[in-house]
Amino acid sequence: MSIGMQQSWLLTLIPLTSFLIVSLFGKKLPRQGDWIVVLSGSLCFLITLLIIGDFQSFFHGHGFEPDGNNIYNFDWINIPNYLLIEYSTFVDAITVVMLFVVSLVGLMVIIYSIGYMQGEQRYHWYFSLLAFFLAAMFTLITTGNLLQLYLAWEGVGLGSYLLIGFYWEKQSAAEAAKKAFITTRIGDVGLLIGIIMLWRVAGTFDIQTIIQLAQESTFSDGYLTTAMIFLFFGAVGKSAQFPLHVWLPDAMEGPTPVSALIHAATMVVAGVYLVSRMLPIYTLLPIAQNLILITGLITALLAATMGLLAQDIKKVLAYSTVSQLGYMFVALGVGSLTAAMFHLFTHAFFKALLFLGSGSVIHATHKQDISQLGGLKNKMPITFVTFSIGALSLAGIPPLSGFWSKDEILLYTSEFGAIFYGLLLFAALLTAIYSTRLVILTFFGTPKDQEANDHAHESPKLMSVPLLILAFFATVSGFFIFPFVGNLVGFDSGFSGIVYLDHPHDFHIELSTMLVAISVSLLGVLIGYLYWLNADGRRAENAKEWAPEVRNLLLNNYYFDNFYQAIINKFILGLASIIAWFDDQVVNRSGIDGSAQIINYIGFRLKFLQTGKIPNYVLMMALGIILFSFIMVVNY
Amino acid sequence: MTENDGLILITLFCLPLLSAILLMLIPSKERSLIIGLTGIASSLMFIVSIYVFLSYDFNSTAQYQGIFSLSWVSDIGFIAKDGIQLKVGIDGIAASMILLTGIVILAGTIVSWKIQYKIKDFFILLYILVAGVFGTFAMLDLFFWFLLYETAVLPMYLLIGVWGSTRKQYGAMKLMMMLVAGSILIFAAIFMIFAESQLGTFDMQALSSVQFDRNFQILVFPLIAIGCGTLGAMFPFHAWSPDGHASAPTAVSMLHAGVLMKLGAFGIIRLGFQLLPEGGQYWGPGLMTLGIVAALYGAISALKQTDLKLMTGFSSISHMGYVFLGLGTYSLIGISGAVLQMFAHGVMTALFFLLIGAMYDQSHNREIPNFSGLAAKMPIWSIFFVIAGLASLGLPGLSGFVAELHIFIGTFQSYPIIGGLAVLTAAITATYLLRMFSTMFFGEFNEKWNQLNDMNYLEKAGALILAASILFLGLWPSPWMNRIADSIQLGIPGVLM
Repeated sequence: MSIGMQQSWLLTLIPLTSFLIVSLFGKKLPRQGDWIVVLSGSLCFLITLLIIGDFQSFFHGHGFEPDGNNIYNFDWINIPNYLLIEYSTFVDAITVVMLFVVSLVGLMVIIYSIGYMQGEQRYHWYFSLLAFFLAAMFTLITTGNLLQLYLAWEGVGLGSYLLIGFYWEKQSAAEAAKKAFITTRIGDVGLLIGIIMLWRVAGTFDIQTIIQLAQESTFSDGYLTTAMIFLFFGAVGKSAQFPLHVWLPDAMEGPTPVSALIHAATMVVAGVYLVSRMLPIYTLLPIAQNLILITGLITALLAATMGLLAQDIKKVLAYSTVSQLGYMFVALGVGSLTAAMFHLFTHAFFKALLFLGSGSVIHATHKQDISQLGGLKNKMPITFVTFSIGALSLAGIPPLSGFWSKDEILLYTSEFGAIFYGLLLFAALLTAIYSTRLVILTFFGTPKDQEANDHAHESPKLMSVPLLILAFFATVSGFFIFPFVGNLVGFDSGFSGIVYLDHPHDFHIELSTMLVAISVSLLGVLIGYLYWLNADGRRAENAKEWAPEVRNLLLNNYYFDNFYQAIINKFILGLASIIAWFDDQVVNRSGIDGSAQIINYIGFRLKFLQTGKIPNYVLMMALGIILFSFIMVVNY
Repeated sequence: MTENDGLILITLFCLPLLSAILLMLIPSKERSLIIGLTGIASSLMFIVSIYVFLSYDFNSTAQYQGIFSLSWVSDIGFIAKDGIQLKVGIDGIAASMILLTGIVILAGTIVSWKIQYKIKDFFILLYILVAGVFGTFAMLDLFFWFLLYETAVLPMYLLIGVWGSTRKQYGAMKLMMMLVAGSILIFAAIFMIFAESQLGTFDMQALSSVQFDRNFQILVFPLIAIGCGTLGAMFPFHAWSPDGHASAPTAVSMLHAGVLMKLGAFGIIRLGFQLLPEGGQYWGPGLMTLGIVAALYGAISALKQTDLKLMTGFSSISHMGYVFLGLGTYSLIGISGAVLQMFAHGVMTALFFLLIGAMYDQSHNREIPNFSGLAAKMPIWSIFFVIAGLASLGLPGLSGFVAELHIFIGTFQSYPIIGGLAVLTAAITATYLLRMFSTMFFGEFNEKWNQLNDMNYLEKAGALILAASILFLGLWPSPWMNRIADSIQLGIPGVLM
């Protein structure tokens, strides 16, 4: 039996099995069972390659048929006239891109983790969670229906929760895990509402059927817009977009390889994936689409400014992830599936590379604060070179991958509107500045902490080899936009000819926008150089005096966390207090105890009728007889 | 299920009664004998309840299966031939509830073996209660239904008052007073139905074929809804529930929140919907309103609770709110969801109380802020707690989600805004549970609790049974859904499809 698109369920089954084995028996296995997870990660990568091969022949043979690749597996729930939920897999160009990203980055992170997590307690638990996460992530991207997607969506959320909270003895890690789960859960409320709203009219959870029905105008416009905005809200939570972006920087409490896998390359792009999947519907709904565009734009800008002053090496990367995800939503907002998926593709490699590189730095120095680092470039040459490749790629310097994909987004946005284009360019400038700052403060200059620097050394091969592999992809993945590179790996065309919305289009170089993009990136790098490297960073020191209010605003991330905390404390817990008071005083004290007391009181009063004196009873009897006689007489 | 299986149903409800009688004959000091006997008895109930569940044939077109009857009062005065009979028979809803009872009683028995004080009397009362529960689920005669319903409720007073903790007298008294007040309403409703039908029989099957006057139905349905709703902790008649749970001993909390509260919702279906369908339809929006209020009210109150049992108690109110929400939709999917939720909440909340009991017995403290980093000392306990919590907050793959999904869909069909609020409630649930997790389980371990031990093997066994049920329903809900959906279609007239 050959393995291909029909067998993509294996991608769920294999990591899930290894999760069960390692989590239950990992302690007793040699090496705590990490090799099982490595094995399953490798197998998944292999299967992904086979699926891609299968997809190519499919692609060559039939062209693209949306219905042709929906593969039914079994009925999860099937009660006639009642509810039908199938377990199905679906493979198309979007899936293939996602599969490649997830399986490659996943495998790299697993291998890297062997070195990084060496000697940690709960080593087997860590690896089993990686496997669990991968199982859920593969399910998420290969699913054919929305309910299964929701299942996997919550699954990756759980994996993320447990991995962020991996060092749960640290209160901050426990808090971060909680915050991540609850914040994304708020988004998920929207997602589930959206899914049920779509089901209510369509009567099915199958994505392709829903898209078809939407295109046939089965839904009313207002209804569909509402449903799709709810759906988008789920994406906002998962992909850490404004206003639900607050959890991602805190999520950096997790082990660094986890940040690379979950919070840079895979789970956080699930929102982008979802909107990409549903883009044929969104393009029908201008309001929803504009909302996506604006959300993406605000996020791209806000997060980029937050990244400027952050002190923690991982937090800078986290803000940059949020910002880059904003770019992808902007691309989707202007209707370019190609640009969004292409940026997702390249971003996964260079951002995972950056995170793993920062992990290598942290592993060597046990420091995360960039004001404590510096001067590492000779001590850790491989980390330095690969990290720089990642950072320059993020900054958008050609010919690295980030340049090509960001250029695509800028190109489509420039066609859409000058304001959006200008703002996005500004964000690109900020990106280049903070990327440069990050590299300079970490690797250049004099060491701030000599002792840590003395102990620093290049990381073991298990860690540096994944860095090199990812650096290779961070360099070349951008070239996939060219048809000849696509041909090299067996496709007919470049990226834009494979992943597209309505019709494939050829890549062409728009020289003017490209030049603008290059000059913005170079300008950013130059500013970074002038401020933090040239003249030993004195300009940056002096700049602190310029506008302390702005500086404070940025250092406090625009007070989002304080604002939300205030809402939770004042409003939600206040409401809870009121309800608790109501329950205690009104329902319990007055309602229940009160009625008991009233009866008690009446009984207390009435007991005086029971005097024990016969004349009293006779008097009562006489009164009663008189009363009844009177009533009878009147009635008669 | 064949006709002979009626005897199995009788067996099921006689088994705990016989065990109670046997226990009475054993001297109190024969501790190991008591434990052995209860172990055998509860395992038998567990096995028989699984058999009953599995043998229920969901392809059959009969509304009730395994019908078996013994005439008790016949042709006397206003009572017609076979007017009062011991008549058993189940539909898919009852089959699911019987399975739930079997699961919870086995887990509850296992963890009760550590009771030191009057263990014999404890089990006698517990088994009388269980006989009432099994009987109520299986009974098709209104007279016996009410008799057994009361049998299930009354032992609770002694069980809490004698074996309970904290404010046990208050809790027991409050619970009893409110439940008995509810029972009076049910009692009135039963006799109103009996009188109105003019059949002179208490046979539910005969009564359900009577077309009652619409106004009569609208008048009587609220009596049943409030009466049974009190036992189901329906807002605003929920006040007994947090106090009752907080003071009840572990196994009683498990049975009570796990099974008895479902008896209330079951009563609404059996008596309300099946006998008075038009009344049920008329009051559906009212039930939904109370349901969503309870769901939000319970969840928001739980945010503020610091006592672990009180938090779980309010959480139960919130989850039972979902049940009433589902019932109120009066639709196939909504009511199915309500029944699934009854099962899901039953096993989940039983697991909660089992775990709280396992910890409280050692620490005699339930205040959430007093603990931190317990996962270091009690890892297995924490893992089970997280499983129950995740089921409670509706994580797909665990029991809660399947049920909630049905309820959400059912609600969205008629009232999208209420549906949206219901989905939001799930997020609030996540908030209070995760807050509790991060305070109690995570963070630095508080050395004060160094003497705490992880669960013993009995507690592990009990928790495993419940956790397995949570996973089973979450991953493979079809066995339940087939039975439930089938019975609703057959048994509830005019249900929305």
